Amino acid sequence: MNPHLTDRDLLLAADGEPSAHLENCAHCRARLAEIEEMLGGLADARDLASGIPSAARARTLLRARLAQQRRAKVWRWRLIPAAACVCLAMIVGVRVNAGGPRPDARLTPGETRPVTLSEVCRTSQATVVVRDIPADTQAQVLSEYGIHRGRPDQFEIDYLITPDLGGAESIRNLWPQPYTTRWNARVKDQLEQRLHQMVCSGDLDLATAQRDIAVDWIAAYKKYVGDRPM
Amino acid sequence: MSAFSSQTAIDLLRAAGRDPSTLEEEVVSLFDSFRTPLLRYLLAFRVPLSDAEEIVQDVFLLLFQHLRRDRSRENLQGWIFSVAHKQALKHHARNKRRGERFEPLPPSGDGQQDQAPGPEEQMYFNQQRARLLSIFRALPDQDRLCLSLRAEGLRYREIAGVLGISLGSVANCMARAIERLTGGAV
Repeated sequence: MNPHLTDRDLLLAADGEPSAHLENCAHCRARLAEIEEMLGGLADARDLASGIPSAARARTLLRARLAQQRRAKVWRWRLIPAAACVCLAMIVGVRVNAGGPRPDARLTPGETRPVTLSEVCRTSQATVVVRDIPADTQAQVLSEYGIHRGRPDQFEIDYLITPDLGGAESIRNLWPQPYTTRWNARVKDQLEQRLHQMVCSGDLDLATAQRDIAVDWIAAYKKYVGDRPM
Repeated sequence: MSAFSSQTAIDLLRAAGRDPSTLEEEVVSLFDSFRTPLLRYLLAFRVPLSDAEEIVQDVFLLLFQHLRRDRSRENLQGWIFSVAHKQALKHHARNKRRGERFEPLPPSGDGQQDQAPGPEEQMYFNQQRARLLSIFRALPDQDRLCLSLRAEGLRYREIAGVLGISLGSVANCMARAIERLTGGAV
């Protein structure tokens, strides 16, 4: 009978399983060292053979994606009690009623920038990632809407006319949109996608799309998407 | 050695707060530690290098979400390999649906130059490397993946968790693989 440990038991011992035999047996320790050396050699051989390029480019890409993810609208799906949000919205002046939240037309009438149809339709669909609105602009929007007492992070500073439809990056086109109401930012994204499709397929002219979303985005949703938010 | 730097990165992460920018830096630090081991593992899984790079990106984006939601930080190394394994399985499932074949394992790299001191030693190292790689490539899939994860420093329990098999199966796979690799040297 073999008085030494099997490779299986040796590896288990190397993995932290207590083994009095290993401590006292030079033969087994030598065998374990041989296995570990072979594993190290295998890792080195695979490194040389794999042709793995430098990490620099991949790291830069990851950084960009992480930053994008941080800014993306994933936080819209956080569950915050809807009732609290409605109360907050009422306090701060964003109109929330049975018809849903709409911006204050005096503060946010909507504003466009000169843009051609080909520029609008350069991408196949509207982007849903929030553009990087400067922090001081966001603070100004919140201040204009009187959001001091509530938690600003319960609102998204959103473009009324999305830049993908020629909306201007102007404070007159920005408003704090509650994101847990029934008619929330995700629903508005669907409308923006739909309008973008219609404009680029020639079913709707750009000016009409801009006007309808600016005047009453919920009515526009009902008109172009459906009666209820999906 | 990567095992040390990986552990250091994990320790740093444990100490870090949940501020997104701090988390981003910590995730990038983990990326630096684990990218190469993950790529090696994915290549052993017959994922093409370009797809493997994408999978690694996905793994670290998922890690960012995982940590941002304050999920468990225990055994992040196992978590990272486990997610990469699942992504690789999805990759293969997608390719299978498209009727694509698995990527053959990369060439042995026999023609590449080492920093060995002399031509005889160089030749010896190259022969050893080629022999190890050819045996490694010929191993059954599960044995090859077990060995690959063990070579990256994962413990048996972690390997069992990543591959979704029992501890006994891992031990058997490893013993078989080691026998072939070391037996070939005789």
